[in-house]
Parts: sequence; C-alpha cells; structure tokens
Amino acid sequence: MICENCKQRPATVTITMTKNNEEVVKHYCEVCSGQQDYLHIDEEVKPVTIEQIFSDWFGIPTWSSNAPQSKQPPQGKQQCESCGMTYQQFLKEGKFNCPNCYHAFYERLPEVFKRLHNGATEHTGKIPGGLNKTYQIKKEIEVLRQKMKSAVEQEEFEEAAKLRDEVKQLEKQLTQGGAANDED
Amino acid sequence: MKIDHFLKGDNISWMAGDGEHGDIVMSTRIRLARNISAYRFPRAFSEEEAMAIDRQVSSALLDCETLQTPLYHFDLGQRPSLQKQILVEKHLISPQLAKKERIGSILVSEDESISVMINEEDHIRIQCLEPGLNLKKALLKANEIDDCIEKQVNYAFDEKFGYMTTCPTNVGTGLRASVMMHLPALTMTNQVRALINMMPRLGLIVRGIYGEGTEAVGNYYQISNQVTLGKSEEEIIQELETIVEQVVAKEVEARKAMLEHAPIAISDRLHRSLGVLQTARILSSTEAANCLSNVRLGIDLGIIQRIPNEVLNKCMLIMQPGFLQQYTGTTLKPNERDVYRATLIRDMISEACQHKLEDEGEDSYDV
Repeated sequence: MICENCKQRPATVTITMTKNNEEVVKHYCEVCSGQQDYLHIDEEVKPVTIEQIFSDWFGIPTWSSNAPQSKQPPQGKQQCESCGMTYQQFLKEGKFNCPNCYHAFYERLPEVFKRLHNGATEHTGKIPGGLNKTYQIKKEIEVLRQKMKSAVEQEEFEEAAKLRDEVKQLEKQLTQGGAANDED
Repeated sequence: MKIDHFLKGDNISWMAGDGEHGDIVMSTRIRLARNISAYRFPRAFSEEEAMAIDRQVSSALLDCETLQTPLYHFDLGQRPSLQKQILVEKHLISPQLAKKERIGSILVSEDESISVMINEEDHIRIQCLEPGLNLKKALLKANEIDDCIEKQVNYAFDEKFGYMTTCPTNVGTGLRASVMMHLPALTMTNQVRALINMMPRLGLIVRGIYGEGTEAVGNYYQISNQVTLGKSEEEIIQELETIVEQVVAKEVEARKAMLEHAPIAISDRLHRSLGVLQTARILSSTEAANCLSNVRLGIDLGIIQRIPNEVLNKCMLIMQPGFLQQYTGTTLKPNERDVYRATLIRDMISEACQHKLEDEGEDSYDV
C-alpha cells in the first residue's frame, strides 16, 4: 500500500479518526503522517449525496477558475417541453422527471453519465424486442459506411459502389418503417 | 393467494442457504429498472398516471401465458404500515416504496423469489432473489419477466443511452446485481475496510445488509455493481462474479488462518455467542446479529453442531422490529422489543437443538 497523501512512498502509518461518529482510517508514509492536519483530512471521504456530487461537478459557477464547462455557452433556457424541468433543476436534484428530459438535455448528458459510469456514455446491453430490428439495421449501416470509407481509400471503387447500394437499401427499409420488415 | 401468505417467516426459497458457496454467499439479487415512455417518472407523475401504469404492468404480467411462475398482485397504498414494514424486512419491497401513502403496488411469486415493484422510484422494478451465488439464474428469471412486460408496454428506451431511469445512476441496463456475503473472518482481521475502499475502482460498491447508507450488521455485506452504462448485462454479472469468488477465497483463507493461530480463542468466542442466544433475557438487534453471525461461523467451521443454518436465517428475519410486533400482536417500545427478541431467539435455538438431538439419538449426547 502506498501513502494516500503523496502517493509515492509506502504507507507505514495507519491513522484511525472518529468524527461525527464515523470512523475514518487513513494510511500515510512517515513523512506525510507528520505533516497532516488530521482535522481536515476526512472532509473528502465523507459520504456525499448524489445531489452534492452533481452540484460539485456541474454546478460550479462559471467565474470559478477551474470550472470544467467554461467553454460551454451560458445555460440559457434549456427546458424539458413535456414536464417543464430545467437543466439547472436536473443538476440540483440529480434526477429526471420524465423520459423526455433525456431528449431535452441530450447533448449534455454524456458529460454527466461519464462521471457516474466510469467514463461510459453509451448503452451496449439489452434492447427491447420491438426496437431490435431498426436498431440492428442502424448498426449495420454504420459498419457498411465504415467499410465503404476504407474501400474508397484503397481505391476499390467497384466495391465501394456495391456497399453504397447496400446502405441505400437498408436506409430505404428504415424510412419505410416496420412495414417492409414484417413482410419478409 | 392472500397477502398473509407473504407476511410469514416461512417458505422463503432464497433463504434456504444451500446454494453455491452457501456458507459465505447468502443470496444473490438482480434488479432491473424500467419505465414506460408515455408517463412521467413517479417523482413527478399524477395519480391518474400512477393508476394507468399499475393497470398496464399488472395486466401484462397477470395475463402472460409464457410466464413459468404465477405472480400475485397487491395494492400497497391502503395497507397498514406494519404489513409494509414486514415486506421491507423480507426484502420484497424497498423502504422507499413502503413510505408512499397512496400509490405503489407489488407483484410477487409464491416462493418470494420474484417481486415486481410498481411506482417506486421508477415505474417498474423487477427483482429476483436466489440462494447462494447464482447471478445467471437470477438474471434469466428477471429477463423473463422483462420480456413479458415488454410485449404489452412501450418502454422508455433510447438507442444511445439505453433504458431511461429516474436516477442517472441506473441508466443504460437499469441492472443492479447484488451479492449478500457473510464475512466474519475478514471483518475480525480488519481486512474488510481495505476491500470496501478497493471496490469503487472496480466499478463495484459495498453496502450493509439493508441497502444504501446502512452499516454492515452482523458481518453481512452486500456487493453490487455501480456502473450500469457501457457494459452488457452479462459483462456486469461476470465481473461481479469474478470479484465475489475472489472475496470468497480470501474469507476462506482468513478463516483457515484464524483456526490455525487461535483455535481455542475462536472456539471460545463462538461458543460464548451461542450461550448468549440460548440464555440472554435482553437482546438488542446489534448484539443478536453479531451473535448469530458468530454461531453461523461456528457451524461453517464445524465448531458448533446441532443448529441448522435455516434456523439462523429465520432468526435473522424475525428479530427485526416489524416481525417481532407481528409475532406478539402489539406495538412494542424498543426496550420491550429487546426482551421479546431474546425470548423468541432463545425458543427457536433450543427447539432446533432439541430436534437435532432427537434425530441423532442418545449416543451423541455426551459430546
């Protein structure tokens, strides 16, 4: 185990503190254990509510020196049409009010999800049966487009043209909705 | 089927305690969060929406012909709070659902291995419990329920973000897989804390037995996945299973080391706990849980005989406030509860010992 403070030297000192009836154990090296101001260490390890996490991460005022979204335009009036929830409100409460909130805040959600799900922003698991077909077609089109691109790069235009026709065929299926799918 | 069936402490299939790694892994739980696209989430919806959701989901499940185990529907809104508390203590519903006064209902299977909560934090919460370590079977069962609802209901699903949930911590698969573990040796040797600190880095989280924000009681810990997005259901349970198996191996190792280094001290400690359960007149829930944990360890190590694990499981269940009050038929003040708890556990343990003696015959009596 390495020291929790400097994260370099091996931890040789274990400190157990009790604050607000909660026990906190810390491991430090000899150097850092001499320097620590123990009263302040446990602030960071106290369990925080999701609301707090949200306001810590996303609710930082733009004038803050290390505001992560300083490049983003000011909040404006981002609001869910169906339930009236604003993005600010979502950040404050940490919960959505209706499925449409996802669409209302669509562009901004990846940065939120990334923090909560170890960097992941896209679903890869189960899909409802009804959606399966369209979803599969879309994924297929993506793959074909990729192939098409590499075919063009390698100047295999005949192959690329063939792939383009396949994509067109699939896109036609998509625009016609489920009707065409059901027939075959 | 009446709700009374589900207010007793018997016939709970997932408490059998004889699943894989049954001595260390108590039970496995899979939870799927789902919502219907046409309605607002429970935190913002109207009573009409709540009723419509209940109707749609219930009829989808009750009329489903492919479902292997029949489910029974109960409206919770009008139930007395003691009944709801017992359902919470049995892990059939969440404390959050029990708190709601007007809405909320549950569909549950006879053996209590499947329960579907309606209008909790999400419209639909499917929950499957299995004894021991059995994530695959629990997921299979949950998926069966999910498929059945999905045929009748239009789920709130987004191609990019997956299943949409009220809380962004559940988005994607909506899957929370949990494994309940009994880790007395790792706790006694102070290794649990390191384990707890390590888990977030693996995308997992360790909690006490009664879910979020609870302390570990009686050396029981619940390990579950924290990440629900970007991984498939199978990946999530596979990763959890791998870690759980490692923890099991560590616990086995610690138990072995304990027995090697201090056999008498351990035996003394475990027998003392049994003595407390057999003779105490006042038992707080913490003391009872710790003693039951020690006795269980004693059984696993072969130090204590005569008491079957299912008796301990039942003690763990009925020593909770709601159950105690149902058994006595009156409301109890906390200090009265401690007295009844002691009586109830004493009776159950001595009854178990009696049975065991009769089964074994006279010759093992002098041990």
